[in-house]
Amino acid sequence: MKTSKSFIGLIIISTIFVLYATGFYKNFQSNSALEIIDFSIKETEKKNIPSNPNRIPLYGDLHVHTKYSFDAYIFGVTATPYDAYKYATGEAIKHPLGFDMKLKEPLDFYAVTDHGFYMGMIENYADTSSKMSKNEWTKPMHNLNRPENVTVESLGERADLFSSVLTQAIIQPYPYWHPKVWKAWFTKNIQVALQSFDYDVHKSAWADVANTAEEFNEPGKFTTFIGYEFTTSTEVEGGNLHRNVIFNSSKAPIRPWTRIDSLNPEDLWTWMDGLRDKGVDSLAMPHNSNGSNGQMFEVETFRGNPISIEYSEKRMRNEPVVEITQVKGTSDTHPLLSPDDEWADFEIMDKRVGSRPPTYSMPQGGYVRDAYLRGLTLEWGGQGNPYKFGLIGSSDTHTGAGSFDENNYWSKVGVLDGMDMSRGSVPLTQDRIDQLNEYAEIYDQPISNKELDGRTYADVGFDQWSASGLAVAWAEKNTRDAIFQAFKRKETFATTGTRMAVRFFAGFDMESIDLNSEDMVQNAYAKGVTMGADLFSEDNQTPQFLVWAQRDKLGAPLQRVQIIKGWVENASGTPKEEVYDVACSDGLLVDPVTNRCPDNGARVNINDCSISNDVGAGELKTTWVDPDFDPTVKAFYYVRVLENPTCRWSTWDAVKAGVSPRPDLHKTIQERAWSSPIWYIPESSELDIIPL
Amino acid sequence: MSLRILVFFVIGLFIFILDIGFNSKQDSKDIYISDQELTSLLSAWQSQVGRPPSDEEIVNIINNFVQEEILYREALLLDLDQEDRIIKRRLAQKITFLKQETIPDDPSQEELEKFFEQNKNNYYVPATYSFSHHYFSKESSAKEKAARAFNDYQTNGTELKGDPFFLGKNFYQNSADEIKKNFGELFFLAIENLALNKWSGPHESAFGEHIILLKEVTAGFSPPLEKVLLRVQQDYLLQAQDKAITEYINKIRSQYRVIINPDYQF
Repeated sequence: MKTSKSFIGLIIISTIFVLYATGFYKNFQSNSALEIIDFSIKETEKKNIPSNPNRIPLYGDLHVHTKYSFDAYIFGVTATPYDAYKYATGEAIKHPLGFDMKLKEPLDFYAVTDHGFYMGMIENYADTSSKMSKNEWTKPMHNLNRPENVTVESLGERADLFSSVLTQAIIQPYPYWHPKVWKAWFTKNIQVALQSFDYDVHKSAWADVANTAEEFNEPGKFTTFIGYEFTTSTEVEGGNLHRNVIFNSSKAPIRPWTRIDSLNPEDLWTWMDGLRDKGVDSLAMPHNSNGSNGQMFEVETFRGNPISIEYSEKRMRNEPVVEITQVKGTSDTHPLLSPDDEWADFEIMDKRVGSRPPTYSMPQGGYVRDAYLRGLTLEWGGQGNPYKFGLIGSSDTHTGAGSFDENNYWSKVGVLDGMDMSRGSVPLTQDRIDQLNEYAEIYDQPISNKELDGRTYADVGFDQWSASGLAVAWAEKNTRDAIFQAFKRKETFATTGTRMAVRFFAGFDMESIDLNSEDMVQNAYAKGVTMGADLFSEDNQTPQFLVWAQRDKLGAPLQRVQIIKGWVENASGTPKEEVYDVACSDGLLVDPVTNRCPDNGARVNINDCSISNDVGAGELKTTWVDPDFDPTVKAFYYVRVLENPTCRWSTWDAVKAGVSPRPDLHKTIQERAWSSPIWYIPESSELDIIPL
Repeated sequence: MSLRILVFFVIGLFIFILDIGFNSKQDSKDIYISDQELTSLLSAWQSQVGRPPSDEEIVNIINNFVQEEILYREALLLDLDQEDRIIKRRLAQKITFLKQETIPDDPSQEELEKFFEQNKNNYYVPATYSFSHHYFSKESSAKEKAARAFNDYQTNGTELKGDPFFLGKNFYQNSADEIKKNFGELFFLAIENLALNKWSGPHESAFGEHIILLKEVTAGFSPPLEKVLLRVQQDYLLQAQDKAITEYINKIRSQYRVIINPDYQF
């Protein structure tokens, strides 16, 4: 009897083993993240939307958080996706501190991108009537015990809570025998096995995000994208590898792929490839590379392996554009990386995202110009170019409403930085200082104040944040697909919130185009390539570039247009860069020795923020030839357009409060736009590609 | 004893035992870390870092956990969760939701129609304008050039030619808002008063001067309810929710007395 029992047991075990070893078990597994739902909620009217073959610039924000994001909820935000889209179409919505937030002009497109990770869950924990809140371990979520009148300091604890959500504290799986663990295995959905996770709540939050996007999508007038943020990082203390994902359809997966599924962005791309096979196209947009501690544009993979051609292709297939500017600083370049670029010290945010205490973020590998150079270097070494991306800006607001104007600024984290004093732009009052000191003593926190010229300022890092930025797509019309295809072509540019516009073409016959003819753009499209594209060598001819920039009619006039070139020397593989001014305002000419425009005399009055109105240009256009062109060298060229200087938000705060601006901050900024690059591809020669 | 009573008895006993277990844990000074909790702490660490923790790191992980637990329990003992503004606000929000949920989901046709009539302006489809233009850039003495070009066109029939405009020459069915966005307020004022199919100018915009040909104007109109039903339903619901909570507060508020120190210096 005993032997037969163990014999049967042996048979069962070996059967399971054989099934497992042969991969038969896979037949029972389904991938829940690849299940597709049609979120459309209304009949789409078949309208004939006129199409402009010369394309129009459409302005939008693809990085917006609402209450469904775990951190936004902690920051006191209660704005819903519905509120966020209302804001984008031009209506006023309320800031958590009670004032109105309203755009100067409506936007053309918008995407609510809440953190996919634990989307909707924090609200559910805080809600003591929910199933989840009955659990012992949700109590830390109720542990937000700070009176809101000491908002600045509560950042510490809120940040702790923020990182505890991101790390282990609440991620506890059920024991192995629990049915949910089995369900997790069968549906490849680890989240389901976590005690802290209510899948139904998560799905309904996601459905609300998606349905609201559908509701507001108005082809020809206003475009929305179903989207979310994939909030991953390298390791506990390491760099953020955050990217936003948007879908080009009403159809989207039943749930977002999150850091619980995998921390590795390559797995995100695999998932996106899988969705694409099922007819759902999407793209991912990395952001805050500046705060990634150099990890966003690494020269090796997430697992530390060398980058391969397959990796490069997969990355470019899924991540055609990168966010170069947003509220947490600008990632064009860093003064340490570009010592010869006088405009490199612009809205630098040199701390790792979400680090507590704020920790320095290494610039190498964190800025896009450096990434373009790294891409060329990798390609030079035969590894493909994973960094051949276009550029967009976005806000990353956590209040549902992007803050784009220097003179109407509310930063982004709700109650924490909604007031000038909390942002560090205006001195703290004595009452406030006493309050803060008392707080620091009680809670044994470091004092985060700063003494400057006998005044005390809050010093929590918000002073490095910016009223930025916007994503601009060159599309034939304002429809979801037209804009999405512009991102895929990389026919995009980024601005720091200003609505300036820039066109950029390259070809071998651009100088024959009459810059004053009404069909100039049509000719440029016909004779060359535009931003985001490759320009292939034709018999080693020297390429000619055509740039055309137009000011924001409500902003400051233009000061200059620059072309930034980067290349890798063939012999040594050394990366090089150069900044050329190519068009100056007020009829001024570029000095051929320094490649710089003379001063146009534009000034800002720091006492009232008024600017000189008689200098600067409404538009600047020119053709340009690279004076140092070498037809055998791969290179990239992108445009940077600079406005005349204007007051920075911190100066505006000070002017409105009737105090002098904080001495250690830049008083003025030059709002700007960056185009996606054009890459020059030389004819292949046997000298190329010598992997070392 | 019937089976049903027995079942209830067993369930009751079960709950009772659970309750004892739950409460006794609260009162004791024991910090019990289960095997499963340990496993999950360690595996979470490993999944973040990519390797198993060393002995020293394990000690740290456990110490951190213990420290947090102690602080948390001591905070509860000090009643730090009481009088917390954020918890208060959350509770206020919850009752708001509760009150909002008492509204029936589907309003009657009659209610909708009434709501639609009262808020017709919100659903108005604005007028659109289709036009072409020739542009004279501010960069090159726009006013004179535009005036001369238009004059030549009117007197000699010379073909109109201007500078390239960033958004092109032809605009189809643009609303007032779109025109204002693309050209500025001034330009829209000019468009509004133009005669159809006749070149006219120069008209000023934010970017320079324009000679304009207005080709078509579609009048604005109020669409019938069926066309905007979904939006109306949604707006109705939002409004009903707002109303429900205001009415609720108004009703209850009279039962409360607000006392503020009259000598307080604001």
